[in-house]
Amino acid sequence: MNAISLQNVSHTYGSDTAQVHALHQLNFSAQSGTLNLVLGPSGSGKTTFLTIAGGLLTPTTGGVTIAGQNYTTLSKKQQDALRLSSIGFVLQAYHLLPYLKVKEQFKLVSQVKKTGNLSAAKLAEVLDMLEITDLLNKYPSELSGGQQQRVAIARALYPNPAIILADEPTAALDSQKVKVVGQLLADLAHQHDKAVIVVTHDPRLIEFADQIYDITDGVLTHKDTVQA
Amino acid sequence: MFLALKEIKKEKLRSGAIITMIVLICYLIFILTSLSLGLARQNTAAIKSWHVQRFALNSNANTDMRQSFLNDDQLGQLTKNEAVLGQGSVVAKAAGKEKLSAVFVGLKSNQFIAKNLQLTSGHPVRHAHEIVVDDSFQDKGYHLGSHLRLNDQKQRYTIVGFTKNAKLNIAPIVYGQLSTWKTMRGFEHGPSASAIVSKKASYRAQTAGITTYSTKQIINKLPGYQAQNTTFILMIAFLMVISLIIIAVFLYILTMQKMPNYAVLRAQGIPSKVLVGATISQSVLLVIFGLAIGSLLTAGTAFAMPAAVPMAFDVPMLAAVGLGLVLMALLGSLVPVRSVLRVDPISVIGG
Ligand SMILES: Nc1ncnc2c1ncn2[C@@H]1O[C@H](COP(=O)(O)OP(=O)(O)O)[C@@H](O)[C@H]1O
Ligand SMILES: [Mg+2]
Repeated sequence: MNAISLQNVSHTYGSDTAQVHALHQLNFSAQSGTLNLVLGPSGSGKTTFLTIAGGLLTPTTGGVTIAGQNYTTLSKKQQDALRLSSIGFVLQAYHLLPYLKVKEQFKLVSQVKKTGNLSAAKLAEVLDMLEITDLLNKYPSELSGGQQQRVAIARALYPNPAIILADEPTAALDSQKVKVVGQLLADLAHQHDKAVIVVTHDPRLIEFADQIYDITDGVLTHKDTVQA
Repeated sequence: MFLALKEIKKEKLRSGAIITMIVLICYLIFILTSLSLGLARQNTAAIKSWHVQRFALNSNANTDMRQSFLNDDQLGQLTKNEAVLGQGSVVAKAAGKEKLSAVFVGLKSNQFIAKNLQLTSGHPVRHAHEIVVDDSFQDKGYHLGSHLRLNDQKQRYTIVGFTKNAKLNIAPIVYGQLSTWKTMRGFEHGPSASAIVSKKASYRAQTAGITTYSTKQIINKLPGYQAQNTTFILMIAFLMVISLIIIAVFLYILTMQKMPNYAVLRAQGIPSKVLVGATISQSVLLVIFGLAIGSLLTAGTAFAMPAAVPMAFDVPMLAAVGLGLVLMALLGSLVPVRSVLRVDPISVIGG
């Protein structure tokens, strides 16, 4: 099933003389249970693509369908609610609220989205998989960078979103850690049936991907050959 | 609320610093308010205790009882709702005691002010050389039966009674007979009173050269009274503004530091209103904590304050001032709230 799709999306930054055409007539869809990798060099439009797919940026032209809903026609409030229930962001910068213990980071979400979150048992499973079960009573400042990233991932997974979006999740990691994160993202797709979309310039993630796209100068092309 | 409480709890040092400032400001405001009220009461306590609505003074007296003299013809016909009084500044002296600046108020024993005077001890004035004085004379070592002299008179007066709240323009009152006032002033054949007062708002003096004022007009014309009130109001208003600025600046800094965190939450779909609510409740909570501690300090001060300090702790008034501070907190939080509403989730995506 299509968890997310972009139809004929183009995006232009600025106006008049300072125009940047970041995306051109882009069509894309991602299925539940797959890891989709969008590879491209710096400045190719990856972040623009991801912010549009995540509903944070309205494309100049074209449509975005998230979890079956035409995102651009929703009210701001409905957009917030749809992002909260359907999209989990895995970001390079985790920015956990420093004054909330790990368990309270989840509580914050449950105060806003009262239903449809992971059950206690499911959350325990996710925490286990991410190896952060023992950290529930700690503040972010007491965690290592990797632990913070995994807490941020758990927080993104807690509302049980159908779609996971990750922007350069391995930017500053050594090969060992790249494998850990890549495996984690693949597990989210294959074991938890999420549609996972990763934009990156890091070819080390190719081995975990089900679908591979190339983006260059704002043009997206699907690569037929999967698995290196 | 959840976020605000957690943050205050975790960031004890920062929260403590803001709360400390709010405590100090709030304490200062409370003390100034009490002082202002206390001084105002010392200006007006006696007038209030008479329960009069109207004052009739000589038209040329510029609404100032001290400058007003009325002759017998001007007094005209008075009903039982009216009374006459003679007012004059005196210095009270007694051997071995420090001199006291006071106000002499001469009354007619058969009129309502003298009759209604509430004594805390002793008996009313019955003779020309008897006086009833403000309680504060007791703090200076006077007691029932004490003798004192007024100004440079040879005559000695005997304190036969004490009364409380007998303060006019911050000076304690010496109540005596109106005839004593005339003698003291040397007005044997001149004016016979300073003013006519009436319990009735409808009272109008009918005789020539005399003007009727409301009690409020008289109080506002008491020397220094308005200037003093204005000064206090200005100081309190400034402190309010300072507290507003402190709250706004502190909260703004705290909020700006959280912007990336908020941006992530916004990206994830946490509504702005949750973050706005956290900002506002943080501000209000900090002020309420500050107010609570400031109130305790003020209560302690009220308890420990010597009676001589003219302070009046009026709970409804202080509560109103406290509410003003909470309003300042709400206003102050609007500055960071603006930034929270503008937080751009895209700013944390990418790298
Ligand atoms: N806010 C912006 N204003 C103007 N130009 C922008 C903005 N954001 C990105 N761009 C431009 O759009 C193009 C694509 O940027 P981006 O999507 O960030 O690429 P990537 O993530 O692949 O590095 C680049 O040329 C970049 O300079
Ligand atoms: Mg980028």
